[in-house]
Amino acid sequence: METIILFAPLVGALICGFGWRVIGEVAAQWTATLFLFLAAILSWVTFLTFDPFAHEGGAYTVTVLRWIESGSLATDWAIRMDRLTATMLIVITTVSALVHLYSFGYMAHDDNFDDARESYRPRFFAYLSFFTFAMLMLVTADNLVQLFFGWEGVGLASYLLIGFYFRKPSANAAAIKAFVVNRVGDFGLALGIFAIFLMVDSISFNDIFAAAPELAEKEITFLWTTWPAIELICFLLFIGAMGKSAQFILHTWLPDAMEGPTPVSALIHAATMVTAGVFLVCRMSPLMEFADWTQSFIVWIGLITAFFAATVGLVQNDIKRVIAYSTCSQLGYMFVAAGVGVYSVAMFHLLTHAFFKAMLFLGAGSVIHGMHHEQDMRNYGGLRRKMPYTFWAMMVGTLAITGVGIPLLYLGFPVGFAGFVSKDAIIESAYAAGTDASIVAFWGLVAAALMTSFYSWRLMFLTFYGEARGDHHTHEHAHESPMVMVAPLGVLAVGAIFAGMVFYKPFFGSDASVDKFFGNMKVEEHALAEDPVSPLMLGAAHAAGEDGKEHKRAAQVPGQGAIYIAEDNHVLHEAHLVPKWVKLSPFLAMLAGFLLAYQFYIRRPDWPERLAENQRYLYNFLLNKWYVDEIYDFLFVKPAMWVGTFLWKKGDGATIDGGLNGLAMGIVPFFTRLAGRAQSGYIFTYAFAMVLGILVLVTWMTLAGGN
Amino acid sequence: MEDLLREYLPILIFLGIAVGLGLVLILAAVIVAPKDADPEKLSAYECGFNAFDDARMKFDVRFYLVSILFIIFDLEIAFLFPWAVAFGDLSDVAFWSMMVFLTVLTLGFAYEWKKGAMEWE
Amino acid sequence: MSADLNIILPEIFLSIFAMLGLVVGAYGGKDKLAALFVWVTSAVLVATAAWIGFQGAGTGRAFGGMFVDDGFARFAKVTILLAGAAILLMSESYMARRDLLRFEYPLLIVLAIVGMMVMVSAGDLIALYMGLELQSLALYVVAALRRDSVKSTEAGLKYFVLGALSSGLLLYGASLVYGFAGTTLFAGIIEAAEGETPLGLLFGLAFICAGLAFKISAAPFHMWTPDVYEGSPTPVTAFFATAPKVAAMGLFARVVHDAFGGVIGDWQQILAVLSVASMFLGAIAAIGQTNIKRLMAYSSIAHMGYALMGLAAGTAQGVEAMLIYMAIYVTMNIGTFAFILSMEKDGAPVVEINALSLYSKREPMKALAMLVLLFSLAGVPPLVGFFAKYSVLLAAVDAGLAWLAILGVVASVIGAFYYLRIVYLMYFGADESELDTGGSGILWGFLIASAAAMVFGVVNLFGVEGAAAAAAAALVN
Repeated sequence: METIILFAPLVGALICGFGWRVIGEVAAQWTATLFLFLAAILSWVTFLTFDPFAHEGGAYTVTVLRWIESGSLATDWAIRMDRLTATMLIVITTVSALVHLYSFGYMAHDDNFDDARESYRPRFFAYLSFFTFAMLMLVTADNLVQLFFGWEGVGLASYLLIGFYFRKPSANAAAIKAFVVNRVGDFGLALGIFAIFLMVDSISFNDIFAAAPELAEKEITFLWTTWPAIELICFLLFIGAMGKSAQFILHTWLPDAMEGPTPVSALIHAATMVTAGVFLVCRMSPLMEFADWTQSFIVWIGLITAFFAATVGLVQNDIKRVIAYSTCSQLGYMFVAAGVGVYSVAMFHLLTHAFFKAMLFLGAGSVIHGMHHEQDMRNYGGLRRKMPYTFWAMMVGTLAITGVGIPLLYLGFPVGFAGFVSKDAIIESAYAAGTDASIVAFWGLVAAALMTSFYSWRLMFLTFYGEARGDHHTHEHAHESPMVMVAPLGVLAVGAIFAGMVFYKPFFGSDASVDKFFGNMKVEEHALAEDPVSPLMLGAAHAAGEDGKEHKRAAQVPGQGAIYIAEDNHVLHEAHLVPKWVKLSPFLAMLAGFLLAYQFYIRRPDWPERLAENQRYLYNFLLNKWYVDEIYDFLFVKPAMWVGTFLWKKGDGATIDGGLNGLAMGIVPFFTRLAGRAQSGYIFTYAFAMVLGILVLVTWMTLAGGN
Repeated sequence: MEDLLREYLPILIFLGIAVGLGLVLILAAVIVAPKDADPEKLSAYECGFNAFDDARMKFDVRFYLVSILFIIFDLEIAFLFPWAVAFGDLSDVAFWSMMVFLTVLTLGFAYEWKKGAMEWE
Repeated sequence: MSADLNIILPEIFLSIFAMLGLVVGAYGGKDKLAALFVWVTSAVLVATAAWIGFQGAGTGRAFGGMFVDDGFARFAKVTILLAGAAILLMSESYMARRDLLRFEYPLLIVLAIVGMMVMVSAGDLIALYMGLELQSLALYVVAALRRDSVKSTEAGLKYFVLGALSSGLLLYGASLVYGFAGTTLFAGIIEAAEGETPLGLLFGLAFICAGLAFKISAAPFHMWTPDVYEGSPTPVTAFFATAPKVAAMGLFARVVHDAFGGVIGDWQQILAVLSVASMFLGAIAAIGQTNIKRLMAYSSIAHMGYALMGLAAGTAQGVEAMLIYMAIYVTMNIGTFAFILSMEKDGAPVVEINALSLYSKREPMKALAMLVLLFSLAGVPPLVGFFAKYSVLLAAVDAGLAWLAILGVVASVIGAFYYLRIVYLMYFGADESELDTGGSGILWGFLIASAAAMVFGVVNLFGVEGAAAAAAAALVN
């Protein structure tokens, strides 16, 4: 079944991409979509029936084939199935299947292509399916190289899809930018994999996790000095995660990636690929738990990204860019959670975020589709009645992302939209972690929550409320999208509303429920499990101290269970014990953001203008995304261009081309002419050449030979 | 090696004498002969009358053909003489070898005869 | 005695065939029989090749070691005989249509081939010279076969005069060797060269090498090649480019290994110098050519440089590489000359390279075959020609002659230019080609077969590798 899930999208991509000429365009699209739905259904079956305790170490592997054998490196191509993988499977296949369906409507007509002459739809669907396959490769990987393969595969798919409108220079530039910026991160990831292979002599997850405690003791020499091996490895891996997940410093490609068609943004640049970094950190939790310094680094980066992206989101006018920065910001939240050690919460937010962010993007796509590819929100307004379904979908998404719920009410789970549950879990965890970084992170995230609320409502108000602005003609023709586009929104809406409440327990409920869900085995259980006679004893080793007793966590063996939580890591438990004001703070921030937005865009629509007028520098600073692109342009792009031009003109052009051409077009013809002249046609010339030759040979013989 | 090379000593002496004799004759002519040059003496000698054509004239190719054929049969004779002289001591192999050689030559001769190489016109 | 004769039976057989043919031709129908002679001769050559090829293994010596029949000789003989038969078949229609088809032509070829067979089997300086001269005399005549053409007679004369000079060099070297070794037998020479090698012996070696280098047209003894290739009738050129080269290379290998196998270091440098000079001269001088026959002359000079590289390695691997190279070279050249022979305009032969402009439009199949052959000649992977070069380069590197291998690669890059220029002309030329289409089926067959061999040979080189390895092992031990 796992194999079918993994390969169905690939088969779909191949049939759709290469076979559409045979089976026709529409059939090709349906093939890809149906294969995806098959994978999605099987994924849900797998997820729901998966019992981590039925397998040794909470995971099992399905070997597909022997992949690489070279020296001491021997690795299979295998599917590793544990709770992390299962979770990612449902996220990926569900969103992907819905996006496929949605694309029927969205890609039905496109001004960038000439319908009569070229077929772009099968290509689009093939890319989407291929992306899904690569992403599944990434999450089902049994070892780091296989993960890297998937990692690069999604990068490739992302590149192809961002540049899908290949006639638009901006799309090409964005595609290249995404590719290049990701290379920076991939470089770190590759180095990290090398370092792991160097230290552990294996790239298989099982071996690496088992070796984690020893690795924590070792040191490694890299560049100019010696490092604690585990810190260096984790840091390098996180660099990779930063690139893929668009964290601050390496985030610049994500907003530009919005040049791709909107379904792509929903699938790749919101729900799945960009969360690969978070997945990687969670996957490597057995190592991360030993790398304290890197952990706090992750918290800082996550915080900065969450905050930075939210500020930029406040002032953007392109509807997709607002959501893109929002994605960036939410990824920051996830990293904060992973950084403070609550990997389950990071995965929780990943899951809920996939639903509501995909929905926001698809909703935005629906708006764009209805408005004839107009993306500037200043030209929207009053679309609520024109597109009622889209409006409600977006409303649900906004309620989810801003975190609307009933605070302090607990019915076995908190009551609220998906974002409310998972985001609050992160914020509480940050507070509970209690380190310097995490306290700052707590305040930063609360502030970011306020801004999230503000820009999300700003988007809603600008788009659906108020007067119709912009081109009159466009507004007259604005229409609701077809059912194939609206239906996926409905499905996602269910997720956006209920995912938080349903999955609260397994991801954040308590130590026991999380351990049970992820199959984290304690040392003594593990010892029992090793003994085939003893029955498994689940979840009993842990005694929760709800009543203020000192909290104790039984030691866990790294690699036993999908995520590893160190013995001294009590953040998950403590997060439930934070003061009431902490629990309330994100809600209040959300409320404040909403009211501000209401004031600015409903009651006094002239305020934003005046504020921007008054705070011109701040406004420009935010509008230009903190000038990060300009700084990069100055620091890297210009020098690289200069070096490239220099090497091209002087190095390649003058030296290599000049040298070779000089040789090929100057010296060789010279000798050719010489040889031609020597061939005089006279016998005596020929005889003379022979005599000269024999003279040389004899002289050589005399000088060198006869020893 | 020394022994082997010593066998070439007569050849070396012979070469030396040949070179020396040549030099002596030329030098003797230069030194001894009276030099009393006149135009008649310096002109090319052509059977008592003046040279009427360039000395480098083309010969008919048939002359070459005849001379080549002559050389071939000349060589045949050169082979045959020692063979004939030592005939009494020869083995069967030696006898038949010469027979084969003669056969080959004869075949060649028959061919050239038929091809008309012997006809002047 | 009869054992001796038994060993040289194929040579005797061919000689008798040639002489009988001469008489029959002269007294029978003269040139009316010529076409028949060509067919019969080809069949006889192929039969002889099969005879020799399927003869038992092992080494036989005749006439006190003057004539050696071993695996090496058999490999070379089979190659020579097959090449000769192929060329004869290809020449028939070309020569008949130009009224060149004398009945002596196939017989002279047979006699030349007998000479070559003696060459590769020579175990003695005298046998060597005899074979060499028999071959050369026959070739001088066929070079001048077109008696009424100034170019053809000039070619014959030049070849003869320079050939005589080279024979003189060779003889001078042979007499030096005899003088210092006291014997003309290779087996004796190799003993004399042991220990303190006299300088005179090495002088003799240098002169013999010069004489042999002339026969394989290695620079700087190559000067006759372009003129003779251009002047001779094209089928004769094709013959020059194939069988005699194999014979001379075989003889070269035999002399340096059988007679001078003890002083590898000394002749290695000579061969390396000849090899480098040939590769570069062949590559550079060919660029300026407009006549495809002259171009092929320089091409053959360059190819001989590569074959010499294998020989210069001085190892069994090197000899094996050389034999493989020669076999592949001959195959490529047969195909290429089949193409050249078919280049006609209004029935008249064309040798201008420019006439091939846009030939691919006129004859796509032939152009494609020629493309394959040219790529193979240039040594472009994955065609067989690449593996030929690869094997000699590998042999040179393994023998510690990495510099030679590097120079070889550089030369092959330069040389690729003129092969690719023809491809460029055929596919992207400016004018429409006006060459005749259609033409002889035999030529077409040889062209296609040769090109196909270049493609499909990459599988296992048709087993040549194993045979060459056995042959090399027989020579070098």
